[in-house]
Amino acid sequence: MNNVPTAVPLDQAHFAERWSARPDSTEKVYGLQQYPTDELHWPGLLHGRILRSAWPHAHILHIDLSQARSLPGVRAVVCAEDIPGTNSYGIIFRDQPVFCTDRVRFLGDAIAAVAADSPEIAAHALTLIKVVYEPLPSIGDSQQALASGAPLLHPDGNLLDSSQLSHGDIDAGFAQCSYIVESRYSTPRQMHVFMETEGGVAIPEQDGSLTFRVGCQSGHRDRDQLADILGLPQKKVRVIGLSTGGGFGGKDELTMQPAAGLLALKTGRPVRIHYDRKESTRAGIKRHPIQMFARTGCDAEGRLIAHQLHAVLDTGAYASLGPAVLTNFSDHAAAPLYRIPHVEVQGQLVYTNNSVAGAFRGFGGNQATFAVESQLDKLAQAAGLSSAELRRRNLRTPDDDGVEGQSQQMPCHPDTLLNSALASPLWRLNTADQERGRWLSGVGMALGAQGNGLGNGLPDAGGASLRLTEQGTIQLAFGFIEYGQGVVAAVQALACEALGCSAADLEIRLGDSNGPDSGPTSASRSTVIATEALRRLRDDWQQQLIQLGKSLLGDQRALRTGAGGLWHDEPQGERAISYQALASRSKGESLPTLKTHFDFPTGPDAQPRGRYLQLLIATVARVRVDRFTGRVKVTHLHHITAGGKVIHPPSYLGQIEGAAVMGMGMALLEDVPMHNGEYQLDNLDAYLIPTLADAPVQQVDVIETIFAGDQYPVRGIGELGIEAISPALMAAIQDATGVRPCDLPARPAVLLAAMTAAEGNLP
Amino acid sequence: MSTQNTAASMQLNFTLNGQLLNMRVGPARRLLDILRLDQGLTGPKEGCSIGRCGACTVQLDGAAVPACLLLAYQVQGKEVSTVEGLSSQPVFQRVADSLIEHGALQCGYCIPGIATSLTAALTQKPHASAAELEQAMCGNLCRCTGYSGLQQVINDLASPDQHI
Ligand code: FES
Ligand code: FES
Repeated sequence: MNNVPTAVPLDQAHFAERWSARPDSTEKVYGLQQYPTDELHWPGLLHGRILRSAWPHAHILHIDLSQARSLPGVRAVVCAEDIPGTNSYGIIFRDQPVFCTDRVRFLGDAIAAVAADSPEIAAHALTLIKVVYEPLPSIGDSQQALASGAPLLHPDGNLLDSSQLSHGDIDAGFAQCSYIVESRYSTPRQMHVFMETEGGVAIPEQDGSLTFRVGCQSGHRDRDQLADILGLPQKKVRVIGLSTGGGFGGKDELTMQPAAGLLALKTGRPVRIHYDRKESTRAGIKRHPIQMFARTGCDAEGRLIAHQLHAVLDTGAYASLGPAVLTNFSDHAAAPLYRIPHVEVQGQLVYTNNSVAGAFRGFGGNQATFAVESQLDKLAQAAGLSSAELRRRNLRTPDDDGVEGQSQQMPCHPDTLLNSALASPLWRLNTADQERGRWLSGVGMALGAQGNGLGNGLPDAGGASLRLTEQGTIQLAFGFIEYGQGVVAAVQALACEALGCSAADLEIRLGDSNGPDSGPTSASRSTVIATEALRRLRDDWQQQLIQLGKSLLGDQRALRTGAGGLWHDEPQGERAISYQALASRSKGESLPTLKTHFDFPTGPDAQPRGRYLQLLIATVARVRVDRFTGRVKVTHLHHITAGGKVIHPPSYLGQIEGAAVMGMGMALLEDVPMHNGEYQLDNLDAYLIPTLADAPVQQVDVIETIFAGDQYPVRGIGELGIEAISPALMAAIQDATGVRPCDLPARPAVLLAAMTAAEGNLP
Repeated sequence: MSTQNTAASMQLNFTLNGQLLNMRVGPARRLLDILRLDQGLTGPKEGCSIGRCGACTVQLDGAAVPACLLLAYQVQGKEVSTVEGLSSQPVFQRVADSLIEHGALQCGYCIPGIATSLTAALTQKPHASAAELEQAMCGNLCRCTGYSGLQQVINDLASPDQHI
């Protein structure tokens, strides 16, 4: 390919034609959207609360519910005995009890739940439940968990999973290196902090079935697990994932659904549960804290020869999606952007008595990228090369396979992003403030790669349905959940283009387990699934509508689908028949109804691991460090993304910028510290996330062009923006101060101490 | 325990979205519960319950305040407005149009609170500067957007000669 694709600023001026407000923005701004936790209007609604463990690790000797049951206003109290089906859940392994019976493994463990006439009565009832514990020594970190003689948290021990990814001969590789750098890195237990905490309502129906209206990330997967827990056939459980106040992976696993379902079955009344922030902190999923050790070497010319990364991930008390996070972590730890002949990655995923870790935007990849990109900067320094030059000499090309040996489809050559990053205006901003005054400015850059989909080897199917309703609307249904990412806007734009209709003709239905299963709303897969579904449906759809139109009109002239109906397919052709008329006049005849179901693209050779569809990002960061306090202000971020075609520009922009600020939080600010399984904070007074005052000025440039022959012009970009931000920020801090933080979040006090120690080396 | 059923309930009179309300209620019942649970107004959201996130922001006599921190007795005789009541005001509509135009929201859970805070700031000071509007946002968190849209909204709403 001679044509080097160019990066175009993603703004209204350059994307005027595709720019439009999110279809759901008006109702959100005016406070009209009903979120799952706004479902307060159900007649007879009861308020549920869950009793959590008092200890990080203990035997339960006795549970007494009698006092709570006899409190006036309490309608039901349930515990493990009340579970008709299986008392366990978990997306990969069902190792987490709905209610604990004989043992608790972390402070978020549930023991019982109450439904009462008011939230206050429910809260009071919890205090009346008597649980007798025998406390056990708790495992506060992964080192303790792996030590010999440590108490075993699960029957197979404390090592939940391990990964080993290697090629070449690592020792021989290091023996050939002229320069080797090694370092430890650590990343924090970040919390999702979706503004809407976990919640929703379970509603018993006349026929003995249950409907859930909740915040979740997959109605179908929740339904399957809930049916098993509730002892109901799947067709008697319906899960509707309502448009939700944020997910980021933290609502992938079941949350309040089992308790609400059990209470609703028991009382025959709708039961609402809404975690408050403290309960969300205590029981909710977190990002895996990871300890890493990395060793990377190159030859005298700066060619990477060997790279080794060993890591231990604290997965907390239960498995959740930990094993899948470990796989994605390992793929990124193997430095997927670079050609390295000798690589060894070892990862251990370890049970502790800490908060359960699972899915979180980036899914382990961004933590690994932090270490890898930091290693490259250190190695460049050791070898006397610029960071950019070392990368340029080692970048993988689009013809190379992925780190798992899988075929992969890069959107463009990674050096295109490197060049765009080097051309960023951020490198040239006025640096007058870099004089030895209070503020030190610095610029840094990092690259990232990210794959779409759950990963080869895992079941990863998607589907959709499409029909013309009797009212003449085009009803398009997916199983996805709208949690802010803009899937409604994307589906609308994709459907208008594929089906030739207008937005007004469409009725988009999402997130209902009675509708089509599109797979989970995670792993940046929705846009890919939606595009592929519409590609598969469009020809049949158009053919069937046109055939119907011709037979109703008794006219064989050519027609095409268009806005509002079928149009004569000729220059200046007029509309022949509206969709409404098609529906109403075809009495008795069945209206077009289509379904599709297919597997997520895994490439031609279907390797058992790795991801086929790849995306790339370069992030350039500019920071200002306060020499008095060590505080870091991120002033500017410039991202260059290659993630296929931009479907809905404001959503794309929001996903990149939002992910970057979330990553900035992880890099500089956020952590849930735990001590022997005890949380050291429980709310947003001590867990700080970036505010408007912390927000940088951001620019996103997009490379939309893909290689000829790439059949997937549209990729999912929900996680791309978090991929490279941490190492870019640390590079910028190093540029400003000479100090390179390797432990995230890079706290002001730690940075300040290191700066003071290195004061003599300042420019 | 139950603030609703406390024996010493009080007679509470206050104006909610322009309507005078009289009710018997525990003096320590949170305004947010009165609004959401008793009055069915779900525009104000709950995100932290301790005055840190701004999702529950309402106006109390025109000032933006977190409804999760206000107790019933504190609104006696006062005027409370939620997004439901503000939405017919021209200032709110200007704020809303700008938020929508600049795509300053994703999940939107934070946005009624943000719109309420901006409306209060612009009502109190129609020619507020961008710095003043940014200051007015100090109690409102958003986890989705990274605030870029909001930066544009603020520049758009601030007095032309007062940009940062
Ligand atoms: S809920 Fe009131 S400020 Fe967070
Ligand atoms: S848009 Fe989701 S919290 Fe602001």
